[in-house]
Amino acid sequence: MVKYILNRLLVSLITAWVLVTIVFFLVRLLPGDPFLSEKVTPEIKANMMRYYGLDKPIHIQYVTFLQNLLKGDFGYSLRYKNRTVNEVIKQAFPYSADLGIRAVIFATIAGVTLGIIAALNRNRTWDYLAMFIAIVGVSVPSFVIGPLLQYVFATKLNLLPVSQWKGFSYTIMPTFALSLGSLALMARLMRASMLDVVNQDFIKTAKAKGLSPFQIIWKHQVRNAILPVITVLGPVTATLLTGTFVVEQIFAIPGLGKFYVLGIQNLDYSLVLGMTTFYGLFLIAANFVVDIIYGLIDPRIRIAK
Amino acid sequence: MLKKSLAVVLALVLVAGLLAGCGQQGSQQQGGQQNKAKEIAFTIGAEVPSLDPQKATDTYAILVGHHIFEGLVRVHNGQVQPGMAEKWEVSEDKTTYTFHLRDAKWSDGKPVTAYDFEYAIKRLLDPNTASEYAFQGYYIVNGEEYNTKKITDPNQIGVKALDEKTLQIKLKVPVKYFESLLSFISFMPVRKDFVEQMGEKFAADADKLLYNGPFILKEWKHEQELVLEKNPNYWNKDAVKIDKVTIYVVNDANTAFQMFENGETDWEYIPAEMVEQMEKEGKAKYFYDGAEFYLQFNVKREGKPWLANENFQRAIGFAIDREALIKAVLKGVSDPATRYVLPQLAGLEKTFAEEYPYEFYSKNADVAKAKEYLEKAMKELKINDPSKLTFEYLTDDTQRAKLTAEFIQDQLKKNLGINMTVKQVPFKQRLELMTKMDYDVVFAGWGPDYNDPMTYLDLWVTGGRHNDTGWSNKQYDELIQFAKTTTDFKKRADAMFEAEKLLLEKGPIVPIYFRKRAWVCNDRIKGLVTDFIGATFDFVYADVQE
Repeated sequence: MVKYILNRLLVSLITAWVLVTIVFFLVRLLPGDPFLSEKVTPEIKANMMRYYGLDKPIHIQYVTFLQNLLKGDFGYSLRYKNRTVNEVIKQAFPYSADLGIRAVIFATIAGVTLGIIAALNRNRTWDYLAMFIAIVGVSVPSFVIGPLLQYVFATKLNLLPVSQWKGFSYTIMPTFALSLGSLALMARLMRASMLDVVNQDFIKTAKAKGLSPFQIIWKHQVRNAILPVITVLGPVTATLLTGTFVVEQIFAIPGLGKFYVLGIQNLDYSLVLGMTTFYGLFLIAANFVVDIIYGLIDPRIRIAK
Repeated sequence: MLKKSLAVVLALVLVAGLLAGCGQQGSQQQGGQQNKAKEIAFTIGAEVPSLDPQKATDTYAILVGHHIFEGLVRVHNGQVQPGMAEKWEVSEDKTTYTFHLRDAKWSDGKPVTAYDFEYAIKRLLDPNTASEYAFQGYYIVNGEEYNTKKITDPNQIGVKALDEKTLQIKLKVPVKYFESLLSFISFMPVRKDFVEQMGEKFAADADKLLYNGPFILKEWKHEQELVLEKNPNYWNKDAVKIDKVTIYVVNDANTAFQMFENGETDWEYIPAEMVEQMEKEGKAKYFYDGAEFYLQFNVKREGKPWLANENFQRAIGFAIDREALIKAVLKGVSDPATRYVLPQLAGLEKTFAEEYPYEFYSKNADVAKAKEYLEKAMKELKINDPSKLTFEYLTDDTQRAKLTAEFIQDQLKKNLGINMTVKQVPFKQRLELMTKMDYDVVFAGWGPDYNDPMTYLDLWVTGGRHNDTGWSNKQYDELIQFAKTTTDFKKRADAMFEAEKLLLEKGPIVPIYFRKRAWVCNDRIKGLVTDFIGATFDFVYADVQE
């Protein structure tokens, strides 16, 4: 097990290095440069390039970047002057993580519940209703759901604040809007998996043993069916926790999401690299944790490893 | 079955319970906000990238900076007022300014001195500061030379504190708008000991800046909100009525507008799709934000000699129905540009447009005139078929840019039979293609740096830093050169007017529209001023009346 973990750790590190290297060179291939603006003159731009060390040969920039990265230093943002990328992430990540955790919890509980209800009522009204919600959740994008929620609950009913992140009431609409997609995904996975498990021999055995339907469903069916949900939980958590552009934008949440887009738009090299590395490491870590949870839930996996 | 249904109902009740419980909390907070007096709130569309006066460039920094800093002068409602300088003298040749500072304090209680201004201006011009707006200081003797490293001794720059209260600035040539330029954020004072103590962290947070303006920045939650409070040390504090200002950072224009509708903010831009409704309700207000948009021709384009043809350029200019374009794409919010210089810019006494009225293009398409120009162009170019006069139209990758492009494409096809293709690229890429002169025709824009027609006119001189057209006209260069050096401001204005006419008749620029912005404002706010240069919204002397 220890050897397996170390092995996985090494692979993860190599993945991370390949990732940042590719992004480092790709972002510099984008047309334009960070200091292009309508007003800037060539001499002034040269001053700015020199200030940020962008006038040096690219291989030297790359070595410097890697050295700083090993120290966990992403450098100064080229756009948000006087602020380091570390600070930007440190300030914004808690908001994204807060929203993300809420969304993951809500999506998992509601998604799994919907999936179970649908599976137990296969081809009946509840199944159709649950799957209708799931399909709506997958197909209606958050930039539609978000403003719709704002219009109904904030502007018309005046029940919730339109936007921002200042207390529990502020979290409800963004959490719902953000979780809807994952909720739907989990509901569909859970339903399919439940239906798969219900025909297995061990369920028949349990029934034959005379266990109560509740015990069969909870102890045998759900526990076995939940594995696919756990599998997607890793990437879903990483995605939701590290910020999403649309939902944060619509609800004016000061999270990380916007920096993925603005970083590219502004050609803020250090911000793009910082964000990519951060997200990459987060994703790798999340997958790692999922592997361990897997082992806990399914002893067969633990033994096989 | 019943049990299962119950589970669903329970789940729904749980969610509904959450919704109800917090709604109250939310509405209480909103209610509380409305009762407090002399507090205002509004939104900005993005985080302020930097409040370091010498590094700030964007419109939000300029807006906030206008209220938390004060330069030698303050521009309010287009008028230059004394700021940190109580009075000043200008030499006979209009190149030496001597400013006398009043007793004023920084937010830490220490006095604001002439040395702070000298330090700030030298800091702006220091190549190691890497200030994007260093060019604002190029009017000063040796400013450009120092910034571009032609000289290395900062003492040669024409700015000097004669004593604690007296600052002398020497200009290369007379600059009519120099006083108003001094209200620009790049010229705000900073104190040496504080800047050096903060190092790289200077201006990164609210407690890493010093303030000398009507307000101080109390709190700066990045990406979230800025809180301004009245500055008790401000020399003119009795004229400042607002106690507290909350500026929310809201990226989404529709969200921002809903916040206004909910009473959470006091003014807001109207999103395009809401303009008609707000207009119907009689709530819409408008102001010019100073930006002008025009077509710019690359006259050095190989294989497309018609792009350099003056008559071809005019044909395009007359074939476009500017009014219809504004109606279709901008919901009627903006004015057709029938001339080049922004009409609101300052003339001698009144605006430039009032003193020098002129209309080269008409608001609507003048197809007959356009065809006449096209005939002439085709004769000169020895081309018989207008469909051969093709070009690629370069523009941004926004929806509005796309609609504008399609409208112009349609007009040229319909009115002249000219085929134009559209190339949409991200903003930075467009700028790069312009700089490299790798385009046929580009839809470009310019916002004024100071309140004078020169901010638009000197772009197109031969070798001008922003002249990416390849156009060169000796007469135009001479007119601009004359206007930039003469001390006779009437002759200067005449020369600029001549230059404008020349540009419209022969130059590679076809003006399309002067941008207006539609906005709404809460009735309780009095004395809020909008400006097309500097702070878009000026609330220094605003008041709240419930």
